[in-house]
Amino acid sequence: MLHAVLLIVAQTIVLLAVSPFIVGLIRKVKARLQCRRGAGVFQPYADLAKLFRKQPVVSSTTSWIFTATPYILFASTLAAGLLVPVFVSQTPLNFAGNIIALVYLLALGTFFLILAGLDAGSAFGGMGSSREAIVASLTEPAMILSIFAIALTAGSTNLSTIVHKTALLEGIVTDPSPHLMAFAALFIVALAETGRVPVDNPATHLELTMIHEAMVLEYSGRYLALVEWAAGLKLLVFLTLIVNIFAPWGIATSLAPGALGLGLAVYLVKVSGLAVVIGVIESMFAKLRLFRVTDLLGVAFILALLALVFFYVLRG
Amino acid sequence: MSLLSQQLGSQMVNLGSALLLLTCFAIVAQRRLTACVDMFAVQSVLLAATAALVAFLTGIHHIYIAAALTVVIKAVLIPRILKQVVERLNVTRELVMNVNIPASLLICGGLVMLAFFITQPIIPLGFLLTRDSLAISLAIILIGFFTMIARKKAVTQVIGFLVMENGLFLGATSAAYGMPLIVEIGVFFDVLVGALIIGIYTHRLQDAFDSVDTTKLTTLKE
Repeated sequence: MLHAVLLIVAQTIVLLAVSPFIVGLIRKVKARLQCRRGAGVFQPYADLAKLFRKQPVVSSTTSWIFTATPYILFASTLAAGLLVPVFVSQTPLNFAGNIIALVYLLALGTFFLILAGLDAGSAFGGMGSSREAIVASLTEPAMILSIFAIALTAGSTNLSTIVHKTALLEGIVTDPSPHLMAFAALFIVALAETGRVPVDNPATHLELTMIHEAMVLEYSGRYLALVEWAAGLKLLVFLTLIVNIFAPWGIATSLAPGALGLGLAVYLVKVSGLAVVIGVIESMFAKLRLFRVTDLLGVAFILALLALVFFYVLRG
Repeated sequence: MSLLSQQLGSQMVNLGSALLLLTCFAIVAQRRLTACVDMFAVQSVLLAATAALVAFLTGIHHIYIAAALTVVIKAVLIPRILKQVVERLNVTRELVMNVNIPASLLICGGLVMLAFFITQPIIPLGFLLTRDSLAISLAIILIGFFTMIARKKAVTQVIGFLVMENGLFLGATSAAYGMPLIVEIGVFFDVLVGALIIGIYTHRLQDAFDSVDTTKLTTLKE
């Protein structure tokens, strides 16, 4: 019991502490690839601290949804993060929800963010919300299908069971093709859901094509800090999900202190590696036109569908 | 060969074929003509790697030669010819097509399932370790065929044709460990000459109609 509580607290602290670092790391990689020195990787911590100290300004035309959304978004994203095995394969909260609960906890935050974008009644917020709704409705089938493909291979929808079985290589079908397809689909979904480059540009407030930034344009002070932190957290949750489902090796499968320490170190290395990959992708590709986003998400959907089909076909 | 390594080899061949199918979808989703050509080159390299893997697993040496020919002809020569054709054209991307990209992707997904359903009764009868790739090779042939129908530009139609040929090669490798070498070489030269002729024909099309849109061939001209 005590172990479980300690593990939950530790996982919360790791998620909260690492997410600004990942955001800073991606920015640093992009800056280096553009031959700039860039801000340090710990700059997002300073930004968050500054925003928490600032006084928030709330428009008088907004309803309670506007002020409640940052808390709902932050809480639902953190709750989703606690369902994912981070550095130990058996999360204490694995009884609380499976992989489907994870998807819809994240969707809950997105839903409230869309409402908050509409709430202030500004033109930018409405545009951002409508675009986010398009992207969210297109990513959801791809995400669910790719997740089902993985769940079928492991024989369970419980994330801890999936990660534990894959880490120990027991009782799972090891045919790599469905995993590969599901990985590609989930990676595209992660880029789209977290507003990274081929779909949205996180580095600008000045584009007419912005999605996430347009929705949060009205936020300031501690509300903005919570929204930004939640966005970083969501990115980290997706990265964690991808590295631990597809390459969980090194994760702690027992509660021995040595295994836990190793699991944490391996986790940090893997997540940082994937963040560097995302930074490189952001530097290599231009943002897609909004009407071309459906092509990309169509590819993700078909990949996820193929992963499911392959699972049935390749076993003869 | 022990049972485990045979299973592993079979899975590696499946993985190679799955990657081939993935590049097919990349071609279907791609508008830029040069990127389509690049994806075709990547697909050919993957095909050669898969064939070489089959040759390694079975010890049949002539598949190595076919794999080497695939790299030389389909991954180097034909992409170079097609790149030259694209450079001469005044279009770099395909904007209007008979079927738009999201619909094409869905149809191709349907074609893959169709291929799997068709081959489902046949596959258990096979005893080769590459038998599962038969479904994928049929899917690649169907997707290549569909690309030829869905696209209007001559260059992407050529790529569709070449993708079909890649699918046939994979099918021959997976169903019968490759055709006799003499047939293989004949097919390679046919494909090379075919690509050359289509390249020249595309130039002529560009000169005559100021476009490589094959639907314009039906319009009458003085």
